[in-house]
Amino acid sequence: MDVGAVSDFKDKRVRIVQAGSHEVGVLRWRDRFFAVHNRCPHQSGPVCLGIVSGRLSGSAPGSMEVDEETPVLACPWHGWEFELEGGRALWDASYAVKMVSVSVESGRVILEVGRSRD
Amino acid sequence: MYSGPVIDCDVHHARSTDAELIPYLSKGWREYVTDRGPAGNVPLTVQDGFPNPHGFMRADTYPAGGGEPGSDYPTMRHQLLAASDVRRAILTFGDDSHLAGHHNPYFAAELARATNDWSVDRWLSQDPRLFSSIMVGSQLPEVAAEEVRRHAANPRMVQVMLVDNPFNRGFGHPVFHPIYAAAEETGRPVAIHGGAGGWANPPSTGGGTVSTYFETHVLWPQAIQTHLVSLIAHGVFEKYPRLHIVLVEGGSAWIPSLLWRFDAEYKGLRREVPWLKRLPSEYFARHVWVTTQPLEVAPRKENVIELLRSMHLEDRLVYSSDYPHWDADEIDYLTTRLPGDWHRGVFFGNACRLYDWKEEDIEQPRAAAEKAR
Repeated sequence: MDVGAVSDFKDKRVRIVQAGSHEVGVLRWRDRFFAVHNRCPHQSGPVCLGIVSGRLSGSAPGSMEVDEETPVLACPWHGWEFELEGGRALWDASYAVKMVSVSVESGRVILEVGRSRD
Repeated sequence: MYSGPVIDCDVHHARSTDAELIPYLSKGWREYVTDRGPAGNVPLTVQDGFPNPHGFMRADTYPAGGGEPGSDYPTMRHQLLAASDVRRAILTFGDDSHLAGHHNPYFAAELARATNDWSVDRWLSQDPRLFSSIMVGSQLPEVAAEEVRRHAANPRMVQVMLVDNPFNRGFGHPVFHPIYAAAEETGRPVAIHGGAGGWANPPSTGGGTVSTYFETHVLWPQAIQTHLVSLIAHGVFEKYPRLHIVLVEGGSAWIPSLLWRFDAEYKGLRREVPWLKRLPSEYFARHVWVTTQPLEVAPRKENVIELLRSMHLEDRLVYSSDYPHWDADEIDYLTTRLPGDWHRGVFFGNACRLYDWKEEDIEQPRAAAEKAR
């Protein structure tokens, strides 16, 4: 499913597209794309409406560091965070958002509807 | 019934008069507090607080020869140490436990030094079963840390004790960290005793000051809850991975509820504290111990046990009597409230793990211990 040109996607922004009966959020993170079902595994909230950021960590109490190579999506309901590489929750790998395969072909962003990653 | 060895982790030893402590002050501070003529001496204890209509002490603990409850070793020996098989008792001071409530930080630091020396001199010398907390004037954390280190070589000064809160900040706040650095360095747990907001400065309750001792005593756990959450959220156990905390006289049945909430909040608010590497309940399980008194009383005792078991507190609870206070818990009473298979751990084994004591070193029969003493 062609969801638009690469240039149509703003960096670090999620665009929600309808893919069959599902809403899927498509995120551009620099030159990488991620696609995730718009449904949080916690309470079924619209996870793709949440904050996207690099993964925050602290090597010591009080420090705030960001891993810009690891995008994280935080659900706007209750704030649960999920790594977009694999979809796993940061605090418990047994919870995960459902990822959808996405690729770039000839400058177009292609969603592989019906094909989940991980 | 339980007839095995006992370690009592909260025994309040006291002095009868200020005059008992004054000789342990330095010359200058002795001069400061005394000789005010008709005004009398400068009081050494924090003033104010809530009056207990019953008095704060068990009436039967007043020594026959006069003085304050907890101030007379023979009375304590008879009523506490000999009444059951108490092998070790952790002393936790009386009014002087509130010295961090003094407005004058320098006076508090001096009182901490003096009261610790008094404890070693007047109590530890009397009975090898007695062990003492180290009081610190947390108003000056670096000085407090030095006071902790001053006792590093004395294995009978077994824990640092925090009670009043001079900064009105949770004890996880970095201002307190020098104390934890010293505690970890010297291998001492830090005990946070009930009233750990402040007896009078500031009050111990969240949401506003209450009016009666009744209210403040019901709400005693609030301040301890604040400090527990603060310690974990500030990453104190990441910064000081060998540090252990003992929650004293704050109850225990609330712990599962708080930790369930804490874990749930962490899942949503981790971004604010990304230095945490575990769920809050996991830090608790690794670093926190809890004294038994006052054990919550439910109409069905099984309700309390079920709560405690849900967080594996049978492995973290350590017995405390709170002698000679009015609300002390008796061993025989506790044995009726706790499952039999918890008794050995709660009354003895868990405290050995907490204080890093070998059970076999203190397992000798009571008669032999008495003889040795």
